[in-house]
Amino acid sequence: MDFILIQLTGFGGEFMDLVTDPLTYFYLILSVFLGITFGALPGLTATLAVTILTGFFGNKIPLDYSMIALLGAYVGAIYGGSYPSILLNIPGTAASAASAMDGYPLAKAGRGGEALGLTTTASFIGTLIGTIALLIFVWVLLLMSKNIASPEKALLALFGILLSGTLMSEDLVIKGWIAGLIGLAMAMVGLDPILSEQRYTFGWSYLLSGFQVVPVLMGAFAIPQIIDGMRYAKIGQVIELQGRIMPNLAAIKRYMPTIGRSGVIGTGVGALPGVGEDVAGWVSYGVGKTVSAEGDQFGKGSLEGLLSSETANNACIGGALIPLLVLGIPGSPPAAALMGAFKINNVIPGPTIDPQIILRVVAIMVLASFTMFLMGLFTARIFIKILRIPKTIFLPIVMVLTTIGSFSVGGGINDLYLMLGVGFVAYFMNMLKYPIAPLVIGVILGGMFDETFRRTLLISDGDFMAFASRPGALILLVLNIALILSQIPITKRLFAHLKRKVA
Amino acid sequence: METNDDIATLRTRDFWSALIIMALSVFFLWKTFAIPLFGGDRAGVSGAEWYNSAAIVPLGIFGGLLILSVILLITAIRQGGATAALTATGIGWNRAEAIRFTTIGLILFFYLTGLVPRVDFIIASGLLITALTYGYHSGQQKRMIITAAAVVVPGAFSLVFYLPQAKWNGHVDDYVTLVFWITLMLWVLWHSRTDKILRLVPIIAITAPILLICVMAFGFRQNIPARGGLIFKQIEYHYYVTLRPIWRG
Repeated sequence: MDFILIQLTGFGGEFMDLVTDPLTYFYLILSVFLGITFGALPGLTATLAVTILTGFFGNKIPLDYSMIALLGAYVGAIYGGSYPSILLNIPGTAASAASAMDGYPLAKAGRGGEALGLTTTASFIGTLIGTIALLIFVWVLLLMSKNIASPEKALLALFGILLSGTLMSEDLVIKGWIAGLIGLAMAMVGLDPILSEQRYTFGWSYLLSGFQVVPVLMGAFAIPQIIDGMRYAKIGQVIELQGRIMPNLAAIKRYMPTIGRSGVIGTGVGALPGVGEDVAGWVSYGVGKTVSAEGDQFGKGSLEGLLSSETANNACIGGALIPLLVLGIPGSPPAAALMGAFKINNVIPGPTIDPQIILRVVAIMVLASFTMFLMGLFTARIFIKILRIPKTIFLPIVMVLTTIGSFSVGGGINDLYLMLGVGFVAYFMNMLKYPIAPLVIGVILGGMFDETFRRTLLISDGDFMAFASRPGALILLVLNIALILSQIPITKRLFAHLKRKVA
Repeated sequence: METNDDIATLRTRDFWSALIIMALSVFFLWKTFAIPLFGGDRAGVSGAEWYNSAAIVPLGIFGGLLILSVILLITAIRQGGATAALTATGIGWNRAEAIRFTTIGLILFFYLTGLVPRVDFIIASGLLITALTYGYHSGQQKRMIITAAAVVVPGAFSLVFYLPQAKWNGHVDDYVTLVFWITLMLWVLWHSRTDKILRLVPIIAITAPILLICVMAFGFRQNIPARGGLIFKQIEYHYYVTLRPIWRG
């Protein structure tokens, strides 16, 4: 009870600090608006919104305001993806892909206003569910994480990369693992963290400090989207919005079980390292289809289907922040961009993070979700107009933003060369269906993995059993091995055989 | 939903990507062996044990990459990826897409490596916005090639004549880029009299970079590329000499 009271008092203090500061509203309104705009424009993603704003706001304003800007954009962008899904049948972000299946038929049936209103409400409640989970679980995990030592950290980093590679692969799982290992390999460049030995610098002094996170993020997420998006595309017919957007309470009450269930699923999926909002949306949609009484209507214009995915993708945000803040492992690709922002502000997320930062993040999330809710209900028509802007108009501006953002973070031209190189590689990887998220997670966690892996061996005089000597480490080791084995064809066949025998 | 043809193309591409990853893994494994592994001495100081060597983790990573690339290669071959590996249809070659990517790649390369470090940011970015929007808005290949040339020529000029950092403050390349930008803008206006969106391009190309650079330089007080550039130098001068004293009293 005391614990909850302390949490609520701390949260209340941070919340009051924010609401009494006029600048909060400036950054909040601006960032949520930009976020919804990025989400609403097909071709721009939530990750791109947070990445670009990291370059723009990351280290130029105090950390508190920069967190408002980045979290506001994150919340706004995930929600904004629902606009084109419902009105154009084109998901604005990957997170809203499942929403298009029911949102568009609803809009075609003249229920666009109702769909948009309920989506806005569900996204708002979903974000709050994720945020409450963040407030509760982050402290529990933070207390547990005090006992996490080098073996657990190394295995956790590896698990994050492997899990991200497994779940984010559209094609073969092996490609996700390769992408993760490429990211890890990129993190090896520069002076090693224990002996300061030079690795793969090829005589270029810029590489001594390793690959900088922000140019890598910009290259991995912005450049491929710009290259891919610069093509002729006829803008689809935006369906005329019919009906009022303001949702009625009876409908919200009716769909509350669906919203609650999807919020919990979204938060859970978000808490998995490196797994993003798109997976959360699809998992929740799949579960909804199985358990819902109107499951057979999913894909034909079911409000429950729409709310299943839209609640989950927003709830995923709070979930994705849990591993980021507790362990320094991003829960989703936009959280990886947030990690970049923390890093350039010299804040190291993990067990040693300042607890006040966590409470402030929670307070910002609550304010951002309120702002998103109000903007969604009262300024929806502005965002619908934005849907009509062709990609070839805004992507060149995004390129200029990316350039100046990447340059200003490090203040060097070399960052631009790095961004370009990573961008070209990421474009080809996208084309060959290698997921990019594991690569970025690998770059971010590579340093930690290297240091903690070697420290474990150093303490144990080279004994690999050190990775199984503590209960936490043993569990993580088993999880890593199980994850790898689960993808090997022989094991798959064995399990299928056993399943048949049991049946 | 992917068709069987799409999957066949993907496996052919996997065949090639597996070979590239294998070659890179072998190269970096070879480079890793240059890092002391078994307690090698450096400058008279005894090196670390093998388990603390800076090479141990990279060896695992590149070894893992090599193994995974071999598995990917075997998977690609088993699923027919090798049979059409040397044919254009097999790898899914698309001439139009190749032209599109190459021209965008050239534009971005010369913008970031040639123009941004050396030429005024407003001029360089204005040219980029004009070129990308006009070149790719309608999907015409002729336009893509023209606009790529409009960025490549001044970019290459800057790279060739102002390569070392000591020369980056020269202004001839600024003028060359400005001429290309104005010419391209006039070309766009002349050829897009009926296209409402393209008629907006010059306005966007001028206002967006000016706004961004001013926010970054005077709002956030950050370093910006080519600070001594032709136009920005004038803006900066008038900001500090003409405008700022007004509100500084």
